[in-house]
Amino acid sequence: MKRYDMIIVGAGPAGLSAAVEAAKHGMCVAVFDENAKPGGQLFKQIHKFFGSKEHQAKVRGFRIGEALLKQANELGVEVLLNAVVTGIYADKEVIVRHNDTVRHVKGDTILVATGASENMIAFPGWTLPGVMGAGAAQTMINLHGVLPGKRVLMVGSGNVGLVVSYQLMQCGCELVGIVDVAKKIGGYGVHAAKIARCGVPFYMGHTIVRAEGTDHVTGVVIGEVDEAYQCISGTEKQLDVDTVCIAVGLSPMSQLLDMAGCQMQTVSAKGGTVPVCNADGETSVEGLYVAGDVSGIEEASSAMIEGRIAAISAARKLGYLGEAPASEEISKLQASLEALRQGMFAPGNRGKIIEQTEEGIRISNSLLTKGYLEEQEIERFPGFHTQKGIHPVIECTQNIPCNPCQDVCPRHCIMVGDNITALPVVDENSACSGCGLCVASCSGQAIFLVNDSYDQTHASVTIPYEFLPLPAVGTIGVALDRSGNPVCEAEVLSVKANPAFDKTNLLTMKVPKEMSQKARFFAVKSSEQKG
Amino acid sequence: MKEHENLRVKPIQWHSEPDDDLIICRCEEITKGEIRKAVCDGMVTIKEIRRYLRTGMGLCQGQTCGKLVKGIVAKELGVKPDDLEPATGRAPVRPVEMQVLGKESEE
Amino acid sequence: MLRIENHPILGEIQKGRLVRFTFDGKELTGYEGEPIAAALKAAGVMVHRYTTKRHEPRGVFCAIGRCTDCVMCVNGKINVRTCVTPLEEGMDVRTQYGVSRQKPE
Repeated sequence: MKRYDMIIVGAGPAGLSAAVEAAKHGMCVAVFDENAKPGGQLFKQIHKFFGSKEHQAKVRGFRIGEALLKQANELGVEVLLNAVVTGIYADKEVIVRHNDTVRHVKGDTILVATGASENMIAFPGWTLPGVMGAGAAQTMINLHGVLPGKRVLMVGSGNVGLVVSYQLMQCGCELVGIVDVAKKIGGYGVHAAKIARCGVPFYMGHTIVRAEGTDHVTGVVIGEVDEAYQCISGTEKQLDVDTVCIAVGLSPMSQLLDMAGCQMQTVSAKGGTVPVCNADGETSVEGLYVAGDVSGIEEASSAMIEGRIAAISAARKLGYLGEAPASEEISKLQASLEALRQGMFAPGNRGKIIEQTEEGIRISNSLLTKGYLEEQEIERFPGFHTQKGIHPVIECTQNIPCNPCQDVCPRHCIMVGDNITALPVVDENSACSGCGLCVASCSGQAIFLVNDSYDQTHASVTIPYEFLPLPAVGTIGVALDRSGNPVCEAEVLSVKANPAFDKTNLLTMKVPKEMSQKARFFAVKSSEQKG
Repeated sequence: MKEHENLRVKPIQWHSEPDDDLIICRCEEITKGEIRKAVCDGMVTIKEIRRYLRTGMGLCQGQTCGKLVKGIVAKELGVKPDDLEPATGRAPVRPVEMQVLGKESEE
Repeated sequence: MLRIENHPILGEIQKGRLVRFTFDGKELTGYEGEPIAAALKAAGVMVHRYTTKRHEPRGVFCAIGRCTDCVMCVNGKINVRTCVTPLEEGMDVRTQYGVSRQKPE
């Protein structure tokens, strides 16, 4: 039976990061993945990630995946694809199905990084073609370039639901609405806001009553729910859709660990049944590690760090790395991981209702229930201020671990500080040059450039714009407010697509002066809109 | 689990509910009503339900319905879903044809 | 048209060679190497199979090979997960009925 220093199950962000780290320290590694391509779910993440520089913030997920794969290849890490690990037994014996044979291999250490599976909800019609996981829709559009349908209802307002909704809109789907039984939006406010300003309604406190159709979805009925999450009769509403996407959370795929004899526990905050493990990710079975979603649902950014920690810990165990350097590396990585686990969306805060920011500012209720900030609410946040000439307006109102805006500003107008979950503060006397790097770097697309004195009667507003086609300079369209309502006519003054912006184009529009704090999105005139 | 043994002696009276016809296990086409009925028949663990009805024993191996079944059983028993022990993970965790299982390569 | 021609972030979607295949005997085209399910979706096919007990339609549900809802009969073999099986030229793709390739009488 072939032996390896480390057998890694799953070539997603956690598994690949571990493989790279282990290979760096000279370990003989085997990586098995059941899919035809490595990368797990990273390659369908086309949005910019949060975090700080060390977490590769403002880099799009698939680019992180490409870099990780390149690194793995350079280090000679071999990923065996279409290799399904079907069991893990005593003495770290791993059974792999590859093509038409079954192989037994042994690992002195094993890392299980199998990720998660999508949760589902059952409702009449949920088996109809056209009802699918949000992840499925994301796979179809971002990996295969095919739309799942044309008119979509999203069920679930967590980050997956919000991110996939936006991505569906980016490739031309019409998003009919987002439904959630919860009264408050579960994901980041900034993700909700970029959907709301396109005019997508949030149906909070609503459930999906049924999907209609005989051979596939032709419509859906939603309704308001009571305290017991049952639909209140008389509140039903029919929506014309051909696709229903379900994004109601993820569950760790931990069956292999249960089978391997690890002590398991069910923890709601981690998303389900996970192995009990120490800070290095080592389970109750010595030398058997976990990293990424399988050990508790989090982000790809944290999965990558966890993978590296597990690999270093394994390297120390097997003597590839001395005690001192290993401990030093691990503490550094743990600090980095800790930074990602801060803020109001930290795993420890799951399910808690947070009324105030760390700074003591009241959270916008409108943002949590409708997906957008009311205009009069912006002023109480430190990213807002008025000044003569062009300057950033930062509509970042929740504590999330992210600070690229601070790093990119060449004039140091934006301050987040050492605590990366702090709300960005715009310097009162900022010497903003209007370069727009902050606008493009904001993974939440929450930064706008406003110039109240564009001319005597007009202001200019620069917005992040990730849609096609890009409107031509001079196009007269309408400016939409944060709720997606048209508020005034707007003329496109410029559209900048700098490689440094990485596809977040900067669209500058001219609007009447009094609209400078209202206009937050641009649309071609509705008569010219398709459909 | 002791708690479950206690549940076992508490008989649950069967009553139908309007959504009993709802498919829960998509692979084996097991309905909510069948799962509820199984609990009334005395199946109080996910393992027992699985053996009794084949929920989670189809091609996807419970990937989709695992949590849903747990929720229904827990509600029927009046316990929290997290208090129910999940079904044991068993090899093969993914479907493997018998002819492949029989072809072990020596390396 | 369900194919994305030009994506604001990904640009032009890289595809293989355009090939012919059949769905229930009808000739369709798709790109070599893309999942069979993607080619079917682009051609507007929603129903991949009908279930054993209730004879209900199913289609793409997870798109990553886990849920097995999208299985079809491909080149005579049943239970082929079309969302992860690459399309090849000349493939014979058929609606699956229960665990059979035959439509029940």
